[in-house]
Amino acid sequence: MALRNGITSMLRQAAIVKQHCPASRLSTTTTMHLDANNNDLATLNKTRLDTTEGKSLNEIGLGPMDRTKDFDTRIELDVQDDLTSFNGVPKEHTKGRTVRIYVPARNQMQSATNNSHLWKLDFDVRERWENPLIGWASTGDPLSNMQLNFKSKESAIAFAQKNGWEFVVEEPQPAWQYKHKSYGYNFSWNKRTRVSTK
Amino acid sequence: MSRLASSSSSLVSRVAGSGLTREVKPLVSTSKREARQRVLNLYRSWYRQMPYIMMDYYVPVSVADCRKRLKEVFAANRHLTDIRAIDMLVIKGQMELRETIEVWKQKTHFMMYFRDTVKQKPSEGFLSKFLDGKS
Amino acid sequence: MFHPGGVHGARHIAQSLHHVKNAIRGTCSSKLLMQQKAAAAVAVESKKGTVTPPPTGPAPTAPAAPNSVEVYIDDKMVMVEPGTTVLQAAALAGVEIPRFCYHDRLSIAGNCRMCLVEVEKSVKPVASCAMPVMKGMRVKTNSPMTRKAREGVMEFLLMNHPLDCPICDQGGECDLQDQSMMFGSDRSRFTDIKFDGKRAVEDKNIGPLIKTIMNRCIHCTRCIRFGSEVAGVDDLGTTGRGNEMQVGTYVEKLFASELSGNVIDLCPVGALTSKPYAFTYRPWELRKHESVDVMDGLGSAILVNSRGGEIIRILPRVHEGINEEWISDKTRFVYDGLKRQRLTQPMLKNSQGLLEPVDWEDALSGIAARINRVPGQEMAALVGGLCDVEALTALKDLMNRLGCETLCTEESFPMNAAGTDLRSNYLLNTKITGVEEADLVLLIGTNIRFEAPVLNARIRKAYLHNNLRIASIGERVDLRYETDFLGDSVHVLAQLADGDHKYSEILSKAKKPMIIVGSSSLQHGDGTAVLANAIVLADSLRSKMSSNGDESDWKVLNVLHRHANQVGALDLGYKAGPSAIKQMQPKVLFMMGADDGVVQRRDLAGDAFVIYQGHHGDKGAEMADAVLPGAAYTEKYATYVNTEGRAQRGNVAVTPPGMAREDWKILRALSEFVRGSSVLPYDSLDEVRKRLAEIAPHLTRYGQVEDANYFRQSKDLVWNAARPGHSGQTLPAQQRELEDFYMTNTISRASRTMAKCVTAARHQKSTRYGL
Repeated sequence: MALRNGITSMLRQAAIVKQHCPASRLSTTTTMHLDANNNDLATLNKTRLDTTEGKSLNEIGLGPMDRTKDFDTRIELDVQDDLTSFNGVPKEHTKGRTVRIYVPARNQMQSATNNSHLWKLDFDVRERWENPLIGWASTGDPLSNMQLNFKSKESAIAFAQKNGWEFVVEEPQPAWQYKHKSYGYNFSWNKRTRVSTK
Repeated sequence: MSRLASSSSSLVSRVAGSGLTREVKPLVSTSKREARQRVLNLYRSWYRQMPYIMMDYYVPVSVADCRKRLKEVFAANRHLTDIRAIDMLVIKGQMELRETIEVWKQKTHFMMYFRDTVKQKPSEGFLSKFLDGKS
Repeated sequence: MFHPGGVHGARHIAQSLHHVKNAIRGTCSSKLLMQQKAAAAVAVESKKGTVTPPPTGPAPTAPAAPNSVEVYIDDKMVMVEPGTTVLQAAALAGVEIPRFCYHDRLSIAGNCRMCLVEVEKSVKPVASCAMPVMKGMRVKTNSPMTRKAREGVMEFLLMNHPLDCPICDQGGECDLQDQSMMFGSDRSRFTDIKFDGKRAVEDKNIGPLIKTIMNRCIHCTRCIRFGSEVAGVDDLGTTGRGNEMQVGTYVEKLFASELSGNVIDLCPVGALTSKPYAFTYRPWELRKHESVDVMDGLGSAILVNSRGGEIIRILPRVHEGINEEWISDKTRFVYDGLKRQRLTQPMLKNSQGLLEPVDWEDALSGIAARINRVPGQEMAALVGGLCDVEALTALKDLMNRLGCETLCTEESFPMNAAGTDLRSNYLLNTKITGVEEADLVLLIGTNIRFEAPVLNARIRKAYLHNNLRIASIGERVDLRYETDFLGDSVHVLAQLADGDHKYSEILSKAKKPMIIVGSSSLQHGDGTAVLANAIVLADSLRSKMSSNGDESDWKVLNVLHRHANQVGALDLGYKAGPSAIKQMQPKVLFMMGADDGVVQRRDLAGDAFVIYQGHHGDKGAEMADAVLPGAAYTEKYATYVNTEGRAQRGNVAVTPPGMAREDWKILRALSEFVRGSSVLPYDSLDEVRKRLAEIAPHLTRYGQVEDANYFRQSKDLVWNAARPGHSGQTLPAQQRELEDFYMTNTISRASRTMAKCVTAARHQKSTRYGL
């Protein structure tokens, strides 16, 4: 709208002025467009471009939208975060499900512990039956393979609370306990720790 | 309308909660009054649009039925106190309204609003669940 | 904890070398040390030089002894106890050094050389698993020298290792695979394949449980050390040396230990794998479910792996308080018994006297019809040892609402004096970890080796490291450690209780004595005498302890149960032993998981109606008129209380087969059919657990052990009553030999693997090398 108005007003109000350029030998005619205040529009526009050259987007007001500026306010809330009213999950998968929050046990066949440095959120196991087509396992539970990983117990608990699931937290056993060991015990002459085999 | 939250006590929701008030970033509305306005506006929009919707869809429900259902759906969420959740539901309601008006939905989708009332599920007791299956 | 001379010796030598070095170098080294200290101080300040705990549970910490030594692992300072190895210090600092032969619970071997790290002033890299730290030691675990050492070691290990990954069961969970990816070099220089080739070793036959492919063996000797130290069975060893070295039993011999399956976990490569489940799975396709074991009374922590709808394997989980890292062979291999002899449909006896499958509604209404005809005083219930606490609660609630108070367990417990009224009478009061603090253990009437193998391993550990003294009364059995055998009848125990025995002096001098009474000795006639004398003895020892000024709350008396849920049933108020039922001759008997055959048809009224609810078709289902299929321990959310009184939760891994349901749900459904207002007030697992908490709060405080008290009162009750007489006969051990260990409950009796183990054990006994 503004653009249209501007152009029409320019067209109505512009006077076409011929100027002599004494420095130039060529008899070129320069068409000058003027606005209502007889300002040369070309120079005006040129000025604006000049002012944005070399400036960052933030400086000319085209940076990423900083929505916190929109809301200086914060609202005070004393209810728990609850997504269940609008997240579209059917009630049978919110109300009836219990969730386990735990640290997975280390795979005993290996001595690597990387998989036990996280918190897991797991759902209760529902029925699995043999599918008559090939014999694979079918289930009617959409959350049967849902396993979420978290860095901390608190974030896992917050997530479970937000989604309205009943949760059970299992505190992990300590990863290992320091035991006093010594190679010299293998060779003690009077103690039972003397090693008889290789 | 921006007010500093710390100074005003009317921003605190009046529902008895756990007692720990915390400050959160709002979604769209910054006060309960604003959220209420949005909800009521949405309700009015739906209410007023009903006759025109009925003209677009060939469904076995009347305008009165639709309006009754609208009331039920809004009443079901009456208990919410978190303004952000209310905003989210209003946004979703607005989207649904748009889809319904522009006939992007089909009548099947429209009839999904009536699914719960058409097929009355008998309240399942423990015994019927036990006899039916394992979980 | 004692420190043998070896440690002091090593440290002394190390220190003196340090001093010598200093003397030679003059002030330079001390300046260096001071510089290091300054640098360290800066490091401490800048990085807040602390241990970064892994984002899991409580971080492992060394006990902060006053004479802690500072060590720098990768410029991170750690304060450790003197005598800690470099590998342990690095673990405290959060750095995991790769290793093959080192294991936390075995002795240090130092033969794999994968743990080599660079230590600043040392020319050669140092085997961190064996080297004790010195003050101010700087260790670099990621320097070029360390990396070169690791690549070199990996190269050597892989040179003679067969290219079996595609067919090896350990693929996907193999230490060698992981460490070669992470620490090994990317190319091989092994050209000898065209000439002599890789070493080949024959496979050894060490039993029906462990499959050996000795080509893959890297001679870490973990299996040998396990057998020798933890299991106490010196069957595995090495023969030959150098390239010709072979690990095995030398003669074809069964690895005759009840803990033999643990070597499958220990072996870092695929040399020792599981024979029942060879070539059936890959670890990445398995689902993991954490649960609790019910094969014995300890409630070991297990991990059930399943794929599709069936259980593939059972692995142990670490639980320092119960089973450390070990599980017995029965726990590990019994899962194929869960697939055989299963009850899958409700059944009712028809007019011809045969059990006929019916659907749930007919079964429940048929049962309810018979129950409704009989008054409460003529009904009874009998429970076995594998039932969960939820089912026991539902059964008791239902029976009580029908007017029946006679609910019994199959296991007896002497009921004179306090009996099962005082919790301290029937729990393992000093807890399983108490074995490591005790200095004398008196075993009464129990073959603890087969009744609780993991507890036996812990006793053996204390025997090796803490100089524990063990005495035993009862049938003479081989516990794999030296015991002071005092006698085989209650007479000895009575003498000890009175203080009349030669051993009484040693007993009274013990600072932390433990008395473990096996539940098998409490079953028959002498049981009353056993328990009474044990209570009296325990009390006298305790009073001696307190008179010596011992303020600790050390409890002496312990009872070791063999069944998983005996304590749970007793906590809920079940009567111990079927004598009440036999006296009463009920018209309706509800048997839940009762498969030991203690109550027969002849003990009941002539036209008695027997209902059996359980998961296997065994002795109980045979004598039943109505059969209700329940779920086994891997198929339900259940609570089990172990012999210490620790309530633990078991989780669902697979769904029960056929039409079977969870046990408490069956009882809840039945309650809707029977007379009166007997409908049980819970509909969901949460509500059942709330009911459990109402009855006994400890049943929902999972993982914790609550101390029981009233030992003095219990002893007073025994003291005031007439001391029961005894027959002087041997206290028989119910499981004497290895072949008796494998099939003790309904699930293990249905297992093919267990049958093979029994055959193998019997065969081994008949050979000239014996067991």
